[in-house]
Amino acid sequence: MIPPTYYLVVSIILFVLGIIGFFIKKDLITQFLSVEVMLNAANLAFITFAHSAGSLDGQIIVFFVITVAAAEAAIGLAIILLVYRKHKSIKTEDIHLMKG
Amino acid sequence: MNTFAALYPLLSIVVGALVVLLLEVFLKRKNRDYLAFISILFLLNAGRECIRVWNQGYTYFDGNLQLDNLALLLCLILTLATLLVILISMKYLRLQNVNFGEYYALLLFALSGMIIMVSSTDLLIIFLGLEVLSMSSYALAGLKIEDVRSTEAAVKYFLLGSFASAFLVFGLAFLYGAAHSLDIPAIVNFFRADTSLSLMALAGLGFVIIGFGFKIAWVPFHMWTPDVYEGSPTPVTAFFSVGPKVVGFAVLIRLFQLYWSESLNSQIVSSSLWVIAVLTMVAGNLLALRQRNVKRILAYSSIAHAGYLLVALLAEDNSGLVFYLFVYLFMNIGAFTAVIALSKKGTEYLDLENYKGIGFRYPWIGATLSVFLFSLAGFPPTGGFLAKFYIFASAVHEGFIWLVIIGVLASLISVYYYLRIVVYMYMHTATNDIEIDAYNPALFLVLFLCLYGVLQMGIFPGNVLIIIKQAVASLPIF
Repeated sequence: MIPPTYYLVVSIILFVLGIIGFFIKKDLITQFLSVEVMLNAANLAFITFAHSAGSLDGQIIVFFVITVAAAEAAIGLAIILLVYRKHKSIKTEDIHLMKG
Repeated sequence: MNTFAALYPLLSIVVGALVVLLLEVFLKRKNRDYLAFISILFLLNAGRECIRVWNQGYTYFDGNLQLDNLALLLCLILTLATLLVILISMKYLRLQNVNFGEYYALLLFALSGMIIMVSSTDLLIIFLGLEVLSMSSYALAGLKIEDVRSTEAAVKYFLLGSFASAFLVFGLAFLYGAAHSLDIPAIVNFFRADTSLSLMALAGLGFVIIGFGFKIAWVPFHMWTPDVYEGSPTPVTAFFSVGPKVVGFAVLIRLFQLYWSESLNSQIVSSSLWVIAVLTMVAGNLLALRQRNVKRILAYSSIAHAGYLLVALLAEDNSGLVFYLFVYLFMNIGAFTAVIALSKKGTEYLDLENYKGIGFRYPWIGATLSVFLFSLAGFPPTGGFLAKFYIFASAVHEGFIWLVIIGVLASLISVYYYLRIVVYMYMHTATNDIEIDAYNPALFLVLFLCLYGVLQMGIFPGNVLIIIKQAVASLPIF
């Protein structure tokens, strides 16, 4: 059996990859997907902890997080679509009206 | 007592939101004001329910929804804030061509999320409430769809907000792994029992603090604040500057319940919060100095106020913190109301240049805005002074001498940019003609109420303090 620490390491790696993706990508959709990767990293951590503690709570929490991620996707894609209509682009460097 | 009555305040808000959403379909565009009145009715009902169950300690959902006095008081503050925001929105929405019925429904949904957050002690429920609040906020920020800035505000708020929520969830996972529960009392007990260094729990807590820090706008996590405040419709900005701060600090009050005695963990948390407080107070005030847009000035001022509030959290002065939040609600919404009053169809006057001579041309607006700015800066006869005084006094009492010195110096800096607006209003002659068209009884009612609140709490704070003491006493004692 694979020890739980391994899953935890995978989860941390996923989370860090999400953060890196969020900062280096210049595209709204990819940045948003990086956030989704981070959320799934958290889900993996929840399941690992729930499994090693032998309690079901963590596994149920994951369902809530998935629901939240879906709702976030719905509103996020709507906003990104609005940006596309205004700017004809979803690159972050094109969105810079306000500064300072 | 486990009773369905605990659900009434929340239920009133949610039902109100759904009713508004439904009626929006049937009402013509020029009749949308009725929706505002309907939402105000539901808000008043929710406030009445909150007052009715005061001191009863009702719970529901197996104790997951807890209406202790602190939760009730914060519910009342938030309901009042939403009420004032709706009152100042009515004419503004018509003038700026954003009178969608969804606006009121989204505000009520955001309020319901905040009420869920303040009346629960389970971090999962709190997270879900936070998401209800955030989703509605993203939509509210982008509601001015004809304005590119509003869209930009929405997308920035959405991306950084969801980034912060991801941190929050990841932190929750680690807290869960350490304490095997997401219930705040269980987590506090875990930290109190654990006298050694527990890295996993601390990392989790750190991530949770980052998540809330984004919402509250502490300094390393404040980048979104000025842009979102500038781009959003102004009443929504007023809402953002009060609501998320109140709920963020409400959760942190419960989480840092008495600092888990004198453990090593609490020292680490305390010193990192110390650094954040200093950064927030200093950077918030310094960055405000070079702004010319009034909404941006108020955005940086709200960042600085988040720093003062953090001082109260560090000093464990819960009643001072709630008092500050109460005063902050009145002075900040008041200031934004005055900004909204200076607008006409399709235009808002936000640049400092536009404020030249306003004080003589529109004496009532100029005078009230000056009082709110004095209060934000912390001058004596106003509530802002007493609030700062209580916080800094208890911080000195707890031994945070340097923190208080830095805080006082930072608020001295803030006097410059607050008074600069007053100087522009009274000591410059008007160069261009500014026509304003936002005169409206509701707006004046809000200006008057905020003025009353600021002065009442500055001169006779006794009654409010008694209520706050009762509320804070409902926190569990370890």
